[in-house]
Amino acid sequence: MSTTANKSGQQPDVALTINGLAVNAHTGMTLVEAAWHAGAPRVTGVGCMEGVCGSCRVMLRRGTNVTVGLACQTFAENNIEVVFLPPASAPRHHYEIDDFKDAWDIHARFQDIFPEASRCRHCHGCDTSCPKGITVENGVALAAAGRYREAGGTFFECVMCELCDVACPELIAPAHVGLFCRRVTAHFHLRPPNLIYRLEELRRERQGATLAERDEE
Amino acid sequence: MSNGIPLAEALARYRPDADIGLLPELADPKLADMDTLLNTYHPDHLRNSVIKLTVGTNAGDSCQRELAGLLQAEAFIDEADLAGTPVTDIDVLVIGGGGAGCAAALAAAEKGARVLLATKLRLGDSNTVMAEGGIQAAIEPDDTIQRHIQDTLRGGHHAGDPALVSAMAGDGPEVLRWLIRQGMQFEQTPSGDLHTRRAGGMSTARLVHCRDYTGLEMMRVLREAVIQHRSIEVWEQSPAVELLSNEHGQKCVGAVLTSLLDNQLRIVRTRSVILATGGLGRLHLNGFPTSNHLGATGDGLVLAYRIGARLRELDSFQYHPTGLVHPSHLSGKLVTEGVRAAGCLLVNGFGQRFIDELQPRDVVCSAILRECGEGRGVRIDDQRVGVWLDTPRLERANPGLLEKQFPNLMTRTRVSGIDPRTEPLLVHPTLHYQNGGAVIDANGATTVPGLYAVGEVAGGIHGRNRIMGNALLEIISFGRRAGIAATANRDRGPKKVTLEHVNRLRRALTLADMPMTQRAPRILPDYAAGGVWKR
Ligand SMILES: Cc1cc2nc3c(=O)[nH]c(=O)nc-3n(C[C@H](O)[C@H](O)[C@H](O)COP(=O)(O)OP(=O)(O)OC[C@H]3O[C@@H](n4cnc5c(N)ncnc54)[C@H](O)[C@@H]3O)c2cc1C
Ligand code: SF4
Ligand code: SF4
Ligand code: FES
Repeated sequence: MSTTANKSGQQPDVALTINGLAVNAHTGMTLVEAAWHAGAPRVTGVGCMEGVCGSCRVMLRRGTNVTVGLACQTFAENNIEVVFLPPASAPRHHYEIDDFKDAWDIHARFQDIFPEASRCRHCHGCDTSCPKGITVENGVALAAAGRYREAGGTFFECVMCELCDVACPELIAPAHVGLFCRRVTAHFHLRPPNLIYRLEELRRERQGATLAERDEE
Repeated sequence: MSNGIPLAEALARYRPDADIGLLPELADPKLADMDTLLNTYHPDHLRNSVIKLTVGTNAGDSCQRELAGLLQAEAFIDEADLAGTPVTDIDVLVIGGGGAGCAAALAAAEKGARVLLATKLRLGDSNTVMAEGGIQAAIEPDDTIQRHIQDTLRGGHHAGDPALVSAMAGDGPEVLRWLIRQGMQFEQTPSGDLHTRRAGGMSTARLVHCRDYTGLEMMRVLREAVIQHRSIEVWEQSPAVELLSNEHGQKCVGAVLTSLLDNQLRIVRTRSVILATGGLGRLHLNGFPTSNHLGATGDGLVLAYRIGARLRELDSFQYHPTGLVHPSHLSGKLVTEGVRAAGCLLVNGFGQRFIDELQPRDVVCSAILRECGEGRGVRIDDQRVGVWLDTPRLERANPGLLEKQFPNLMTRTRVSGIDPRTEPLLVHPTLHYQNGGAVIDANGATTVPGLYAVGEVAGGIHGRNRIMGNALLEIISFGRRAGIAATANRDRGPKKVTLEHVNRLRRALTLADMPMTQRAPRILPDYAAGGVWKR
């Protein structure tokens, strides 16, 4: 029933290592299932198991080839070495969106907060590490050019695994740049008439109600 | 038990162009038959699945059996464990880092509180991030708050608390404004309105969304807002294993956290604790697979019950009809209801239709269980059985539709080498949502002073059945209410932190002659706990 990693009756047919432990798994198991199956230590970064939470970050070594990915989206294969990465450390860039008062000076604020973004050296490190195939490098360039709406659009499917942040030699933190772009776009420019109309209607109703209460007193 | 049609045989028999003919009588239940169907096959009514609680605030009330075992279980720690444990003092402690927890933390911080948010896994690892469909709010011209309230109460079979429902529905438009201010994007119409959809149980279009990634968009924005906030500290990989009470065991004054990284206990002392621990799909009640994230193990219910909070609707859960059976790593994961809404049929192992696919979730779920129970399911092995979701037929009738409208489903199955355009998907009901939870008031306050509960861990809003889109609204509406109320609590704070409430439940269990072999909360399901967490 519940344990997805249970294939009772069959012989394991894939041999790999996870966090230094030799693991025998079955074809078709994801790296998360393989880790559970073997009781691999220090596997605390698992959440959704369907590729949307960005927690199950792993480093993968096949021979001399090293890549990163999401463990719940990668299947067990022979001889692969898997290391579950520790949670990312707190971001170095700080801002609170409520501090932004004026959309006209947003580019100045962006440059204060993310000064490194204009120093991209186009190494593609972010692009190659992104498990969602996002054109991260281009997103960063758009942001540095002040094109926040388009930049944010690039990051639409971002799951905040922050693997691009780890890859970036200039410490640009592309994941947080992307989110900044998306957030300021909504914060300053999303002004839907149907919502605004209803909010005003409700405000008046409330006001009417308090006035009526006052009259009664 | 191996009744059902073996996979290979069923596949050989399956034809996407077979003439299915009219709905057989079995598939078109009359209202009275519908009740029988529910009473016979819905998991809430399974024989032996519900028992009466023996000890605690809800003694005598009905409760799902496995959950009852955890509510009436032994704690992990006693006084001896607390000696020498490091102590942190804070204004407000939020337990759980999904949407409800983040909303509560942000609201408390906006009101000037110093906040500690402790969460079991990574911040944002939650059911919230997985939500696809959308969030309800009455914003269209033909809609009103009143209609939203009525739809919610009707959908919940009138078991919900009208005061809570009207608080939530009334907050709807303001919740959207707050989310936009935090930086959340929504789908818009060409004229700039928020785009709305109508979904099951709604009398008009009310579902606001960010394509099919509403939960992801909400969660990554709130996560970033929390991380960036100067008054909020976040502890990840730090599950709560117990609450703390005052010397009379009457009031909540803090919590004990452990760490999945170093197994070190930590005490947090505070005036207000906000529980936002989410649901319990990963308890796999009645042996069901689940759509929930790994951390959904019902911890909040266990902690709240032990400190004396009243709970409700502990025998009512939502099972989504179409969870995937195969491939095994996606077991229990949802195939969105939209696929059936687009015309996709359900057929059994004999290639017959057996239910009107657009009946309410609980009815369709029961019908699938009937097919499987009576030997008309498709069986992979001893444990896995299901019915076909006939996607190839849908594709034949509407070439290109799957790729265009359900990219999320297509991507997920492609990773596993399955093509729903040519192979039908094997599906089975999956445990999806906890309808009940802690009894709360309009501030999210539980019946225990100092303890708040918000989000899926709280009860009373959805009655005995939740309609789509109300969970995402609830978590922000009540998350913010509780954050504000918890900050306003000007209590002088704890003099003493104790485990008096644990001792009280232990005494009750001993008196009732109940075994104390099981410990709770669960923290992680057994299959995932191996290298991480020793009970
Ligand atoms: C696949 C799926 C699709 C859905 N689609 C929709 C939809 O379209 N619309 C809608 O309205 N609703 C939907 N829902 C329901 C909705 O997503 C959830 O009910 C809601 O997000 C719950 O929010 P929450 O903050 O209460 O809990 P969660 O988001 O689950 O967060 C709970 C948090 O608490 C943490 N936690 C648990 N135990 C402990 C502990 N002991 N100590 C510390 N932390 C702990 C967890 O790790 C988690 O981070 C869906 C649910 C699922 C699973
Ligand atoms: S853009 Fe960065 S954070 Fe987002 S999914 Fe890609 S690698 Fe992960
Ligand atoms: S990794 Fe950093 S420096 Fe390299 S291309 Fe990406 S953003 Fe630019
Ligand atoms: S567990 Fe969520 S992305 Fe892998």
